[in-house]
Amino acid sequence: MKNENLFVKGLKTGFRTFGFKVTNVINFVLLFLVYFIGVGITSLAAKIAKKKFLNLKPEGNTYWKEHNLGKQDLKDYYRQF
Amino acid sequence: MYILGISCFYHDSAACILKDGKILAAAEEERFTRKKHDTSFPINSINYCLNEAGITGDQLDYVGFYEKPFLKFERLLHQHIEMFPRSFWTFYQALPSWINEKLRVPSLIKKKLKYKKGVMFIEHHMAHAASSYLVSPFKDAAILTVDGVGEWATTTLGHAKENDITILKQIEFPHSLGLLYSAVTAHLGFSVNNSEYKVMGLSPYGKPTYYEKFKKIIDLKEDGSYALDMSYFDFHYKMTMPSKKFIEEFGPIRKPDEPVTQHHKDLAATLQKITEEAIFKMLKYLHSITKSDNLCMAGGCALNSVANGKILSNTPFKSIYIQPAAGDHGASIGVAKYIYHTLLGNERNEIQETAYLGPEFTTEEIKKFLEDYKVKYSQFKDNKELVKKTAELIYKDNVIGWFQGRMEWGPRALGSRSILSNACHPKMQDILNLKVKHREKFRPFAPVVSEEDAKEYFECDNPVPIPTDFMLMVYSIKKEKQKLIPAVTHVDGSGRLQTIRKQHNPLYHGVIKEFEKFTKVPILINTSFNVRGEPIVCTPLDAYRCMMGTGIDYLVMDKFLIKREDNPQHMWDSEKYAKD
Repeated sequence: MKNENLFVKGLKTGFRTFGFKVTNVINFVLLFLVYFIGVGITSLAAKIAKKKFLNLKPEGNTYWKEHNLGKQDLKDYYRQF
Repeated sequence: MYILGISCFYHDSAACILKDGKILAAAEEERFTRKKHDTSFPINSINYCLNEAGITGDQLDYVGFYEKPFLKFERLLHQHIEMFPRSFWTFYQALPSWINEKLRVPSLIKKKLKYKKGVMFIEHHMAHAASSYLVSPFKDAAILTVDGVGEWATTTLGHAKENDITILKQIEFPHSLGLLYSAVTAHLGFSVNNSEYKVMGLSPYGKPTYYEKFKKIIDLKEDGSYALDMSYFDFHYKMTMPSKKFIEEFGPIRKPDEPVTQHHKDLAATLQKITEEAIFKMLKYLHSITKSDNLCMAGGCALNSVANGKILSNTPFKSIYIQPAAGDHGASIGVAKYIYHTLLGNERNEIQETAYLGPEFTTEEIKKFLEDYKVKYSQFKDNKELVKKTAELIYKDNVIGWFQGRMEWGPRALGSRSILSNACHPKMQDILNLKVKHREKFRPFAPVVSEEDAKEYFECDNPVPIPTDFMLMVYSIKKEKQKLIPAVTHVDGSGRLQTIRKQHNPLYHGVIKEFEKFTKVPILINTSFNVRGEPIVCTPLDAYRCMMGTGIDYLVMDKFLIKREDNPQHMWDSEKYAKD
């Protein structure tokens, strides 16, 4: 009985570990594709169009950016953006 | 009306609840899960807040979240597009948590709290600004927020009048004073988002010999705006922070077990100097555009107590307010207060003068705990005896665990979950380190002084600002007094003091004044009730285990006195928790 329980427990642990590994592989493949196709193509297009997505080398007499963010419409706060 | 504020998923998850605009309860998740800087959804903090209010999630009128997740995600996508293909590993590691939780905040909240209404989202730096201004004593104030990064902003200048706050200007990612501080923290071998205060503590041991080199890294304008030379950093596309170029310039990254050398101390000193210079310039500019003499600060960098202590003497501001949890945890108060006062237009109705917002335990609950665990204890007759006996034990160089009332809000122990000891003993720093804290030798211990006596011992601002009550200001100790309190005098003669006002915590104040009768010095060592690497204790069990696993001699818990020697020891091995 004890051995049987140990066997079931081991089997469950094994399946769980296997499940995690499969998930990791699938995640990796999917994210690899998303990154190198989705992000990659956008990045390439941006580079061709000379569009900057991150201002790594800002210039000017000041680095402050005008923002003027105050109270907005109440419904705007229910948005996540 | 009940409003719940939530901050989570990056560091220091927390929740806060308001009842009719007043803070009823607030706590960090780490105190419940015992995982330092816990980032997870703060379900324990929320449950505590709801219990304190006596309501369930579906009875909440509003729930607010401390940032706009989609804007943050947009910034992340911009980073990856710009840094393609070098950012792949970060993308691979970060994206699953975005898909699983960070972009699903409303459904997560609704599911976990059974809350049926909409969730409100406030910009991260607005939540920071509100967390300070809306609980400050000011009706008009300039606001500076500085942290690692929110959605896009890393530093903002704001102006507030009555209930309204306007963020006027900002500096955007990747240019971040907070991330510069974190990058150097990482280079010095300490953990990011955790040990920045150690770098601050290390800085007085060094000289800013790398100042000119640092000027290449950060271009600081006269108006306090700045830009980083990103070739020195990797954080915009990698998990690591300093780049190869930084390492070539400043040497290899110190491994945690390597000794701290003069080079490291000089780096810390240079960083602190640059940080202060940047903050003072920003503040002078902020004052010039807002014309307000009152200053509110928030964001992780507002926990830089060394810089804070110099602000009023180095800038035109005449008064300052910082709330005890100035980092991301505090933004949960910010979002809740912003909804109540700014969005709903309700009158401001409180000033946050204390940090006692966390769980407390009744005498009966504590007694039951002691009985259940068969702890040997004695009971004080009354508070007078409690105060007198505790002061006497401290005078006799015992280390005391002090567990009274509601747990503190924010990263500092302020007299509810504190370890107290004799500040006059020249070896007390070593004794405390040996018995309990296992800290690096360079880190000072903090003094707590009765507010009315602070000016006699410290070169502090006049009047003593409220943030001093939250241990957020470092001041010089008067030369003639330094020898009286050697255990809390840092190498540069400064002390990160906490002032305590009698009306805020009469027992704690009483112990200090009673100690004065023995020594003529109204100052104790106050350090957080934990071992290194562990969050501050929350419950009686946490406190008892901490005492039994360390060298704390006595625990004064509510009306009870527990002597370590009288009880079975080694229940808990503190050494294994004594990490970074």
